[in-house]
Amino acid sequence: MAVDDALLQRAAEPTLRLYGWWPHAVSLGWFQRFADFADLPPGTPIVRRRTGGGAIHHGDELTFALVLPAALLPGDVAESYVLLHDAIRTALADCGIACKRLDAGHAPTPRPIARWCFAEPGRDDLVTSRGKLLGSAQRRVQRPSPRVLHHGSLVVRSPALTPFVAAIADAHAVDAALRQQLADRLIHHFARVLALEPRTSALSTDETALARQLQRTLYECDADLRRR
Amino acid sequence: MRPNDCKFLKSHEWCKIENGVATIGITDYAVSHLSDLVFLDLPKQGASVTVGESFGEIESVKAVSSLYSPVSGEVVAVNKELPDHLEWLGEGPFTKAWMLKVKVTAQSPDLMNTAAYEAHCTAEG
Repeated sequence: MAVDDALLQRAAEPTLRLYGWWPHAVSLGWFQRFADFADLPPGTPIVRRRTGGGAIHHGDELTFALVLPAALLPGDVAESYVLLHDAIRTALADCGIACKRLDAGHAPTPRPIARWCFAEPGRDDLVTSRGKLLGSAQRRVQRPSPRVLHHGSLVVRSPALTPFVAAIADAHAVDAALRQQLADRLIHHFARVLALEPRTSALSTDETALARQLQRTLYECDADLRRR
Repeated sequence: MRPNDCKFLKSHEWCKIENGVATIGITDYAVSHLSDLVFLDLPKQGASVTVGESFGEIESVKAVSSLYSPVSGEVVAVNKELPDHLEWLGEGPFTKAWMLKVKVTAQSPDLMNTAAYEAHCTAEG
């Protein structure tokens, strides 16, 4: 989370970061109340995201953070989800994984939002016959320049705390080759819809230093977790 | 119809300054592009806000957006009912959905009049 935050603040160019979670952990949406998760099993690692939406139990999943100049996405927030979700759906299809995007006939995310991100699929969510397959959320800032951080959680196996979550492994044997293919196709289709040329790079010295600072001063702090 | 007595930031906040007090909110353009508003967080009365810095946050469609202040000064009033009536932002973004009143000590040099703001919205699409 600290790295994603640092990228939002400092990335010099559009950046896609793909990662996973160990230990498995719960992330809370920015507006969620810590007290609403007092029933989590003792010792559950928990962190607060800068992005919105409901909580996610991050188990075996392909997580991504996409940091972009706002001008690369539609200004309409809902339209930006459509663009990115269709890129992800196409990447999944390239790997033989079927899902669909709920269309405008479905209700938007319920108000107030569900406690768990995956509990109630809404308009534009990617779903299989078993439920929601992808969790998405954004943070939009104007400083230092108009930018968007788009978080995505593509579930490989249903997490222990949220077994109702749909997963790629529901209908597919998941091995290292499929994981790599999926990562490659995500990179390809994000680049395609955003008209970018992908290349691999490491975090810059500046990004790394800021991520460490944010980890120490925010993300590992109880006060940040309990800010609401 | 956007009021002619307001000034605007590119980030889609408006302010109307009368007798040294700025009333601040977000525009109809911002509301229409956010859609499906869920949460709003505003500062408390007595807090300070600073030109160009975030004074609050709003969540829509799982997207958290920062709100930026067109002025600096002390918050002298907050629309406390607004977070529980986010539909007001669609019904009257320049009237009943005002967010803050701030005793102004400085204004953003980037404030635009209505005509310039409308040209900015057209350029953004």
